[in-house]
Amino acid sequence: MSLDLTKVAAQVGSMVARLKAGGEDRQERLQNALNVLQDKSLDLERLSKKIEASKTTWLVAGLVDGLAPHYKAPPLPPEFSVLATDGSNIDVDRHKSTRCYLINIGSVVLSYGAHPEALLDSFPSLYFGDEDLVIAPDGAKGREQPIEGALLGIKRGVDECRELARLAAELPKESPALALLDGSLILWGLSGKVYPDFVTEALLNKGFLRCLEEMRKLNADRHLALASYISFPRSTDVVNALRVALCPHEIIDTDRLCKECESRDCDKVDGVRDRDVFSSILAPGERSALFTSQSSIVEKHYGGHWVYFFYIRVDDEIARVEIPQWAARDENLLNLTHALVLDQCRRGQGYPVALSEAHEQAVVTGVDRESFWQMVESLMVDEKMPSPTSAKSFSKRTRWV
Amino acid sequence: MAEIERVGEIIEASTTGFTAQCYELYQMPPLGSLVKTGDSAAELYGIVYNATTTSLEPGRRPIARGKDEDSEEAIYRSSPQLAKLLRSEFGALVVGYKEGDRLYQHLPPQPARIHGFVYQCSPDELKDFGKSFDFLNIILNAHLPVPGEELVAASLRRMSQAHEDRRAFLVAAGKELAILLSGNLNQLNAILGRIKL
Repeated sequence: MSLDLTKVAAQVGSMVARLKAGGEDRQERLQNALNVLQDKSLDLERLSKKIEASKTTWLVAGLVDGLAPHYKAPPLPPEFSVLATDGSNIDVDRHKSTRCYLINIGSVVLSYGAHPEALLDSFPSLYFGDEDLVIAPDGAKGREQPIEGALLGIKRGVDECRELARLAAELPKESPALALLDGSLILWGLSGKVYPDFVTEALLNKGFLRCLEEMRKLNADRHLALASYISFPRSTDVVNALRVALCPHEIIDTDRLCKECESRDCDKVDGVRDRDVFSSILAPGERSALFTSQSSIVEKHYGGHWVYFFYIRVDDEIARVEIPQWAARDENLLNLTHALVLDQCRRGQGYPVALSEAHEQAVVTGVDRESFWQMVESLMVDEKMPSPTSAKSFSKRTRWV
Repeated sequence: MAEIERVGEIIEASTTGFTAQCYELYQMPPLGSLVKTGDSAAELYGIVYNATTTSLEPGRRPIARGKDEDSEEAIYRSSPQLAKLLRSEFGALVVGYKEGDRLYQHLPPQPARIHGFVYQCSPDELKDFGKSFDFLNIILNAHLPVPGEELVAASLRRMSQAHEDRRAFLVAAGKELAILLSGNLNQLNAILGRIKL
């Protein structure tokens, strides 16, 4: 029996009614947020110091050029390229006799100008060796982390970045280019204490950040910007900076002081997201001021690739664009990122065309997954190898009454 | 040595016909062209009866993009990926085959092979093939998405271009058609009207 939608319908009705009822309240809190953001009397230097000194459980955006400035898109260069990668995977299936996983990286290079050109490709890699299936600490045995589930997702992200760096190195040096990743530059999966340090070392320091460094170095003889694009972001970093501004106390420590706080002035902007705020102040094509991420993983590991971000208005949507520090501090690269991200969205019906084509190249469908496992099993049968599968997997495939 | 132009690669094949994908977008052979595929042991001849250009993936339909563009070329320039996401295909009706030096105008014992290269026939091959009109019967009896008389006329017009005396060739073809279509004057007239010089 599949999902009984008639039983769900009433619950969906209640959900929609609740959302509607909260509309006025949300509007008021959004207005509060806008009032603080556009308050000309706000001492930004003091706020910046207060943000740096605050200890919060929520992420607060660091200020670079204030809160309210917004910038029109710079003109497009006559010739330019945009490259993007995206990935998809087939996870380890513990119900199968073979332990392996597959990562498919889709890549796209689009060149615009006098000689438009497109390269679309995909690179599937199957991992099955003992050394590929775990991340192990140097020299120590017994603490290996199996690469599957969330960790496989992070590894895929690193592989996407590695492929992007490879493509970038092959580009002609004459025309400026933007390398695009989907999602965040911050490997959130590695934050907190979920994985041991050697996993972070292997995937972040020796993986992702090394690829960013390769791309930074390419700027010695060309203009190569790097950005990641987050559509419909849920982040509240900037609104949290407004919370800090609203807080009447000089020192903010959410673990100690906030529990005893009676004023709770900061609740005036509760539930507002950054995208709601920037949707009200950015004109189509404009970008917001620059902000920095204060997440602990960035502070601890990113160094010269410290993650900066801005919001950009594309038609009716607000998107978040994250860039490494070296691209944020170079005005040429920052302008190039702004202009090319916007241009990509305009060519791609609101979403960067290079990213959506990279996704199309990478995507592994349910049918592909089935065919893959069938191929594995049939090749094992050809070699007269036993390929037992679990009874649970069999019962899902063969249904009876 | 005959001039050989490769126009596509077979992606679907049956005893009576094959479908080939073009290597370049929109570079399909014209309607009624004689094409061939196979190796020196057995060459299959086909008449191009249909051509399509569609999205490479069935789930992704092209959308209108030119509202703010000045020309069609500008659309392809501003979205260079389009040429990689669309594909042109053509269908050919098998009308004969060659084994060794002998040419037969009836269905071959084996269909074409998938990924077989498809070549445009040279003027010499057209002349050679046009020595017999038995293939017209295959076209007239085939169930195709285009009307039989259109395809017969198109193939004869193209074949006639390889002959020095186009008129003599078309008159001979017309005589053959008069016999084949003695019971269907309307169709005969429709074809004759379409091959008039």
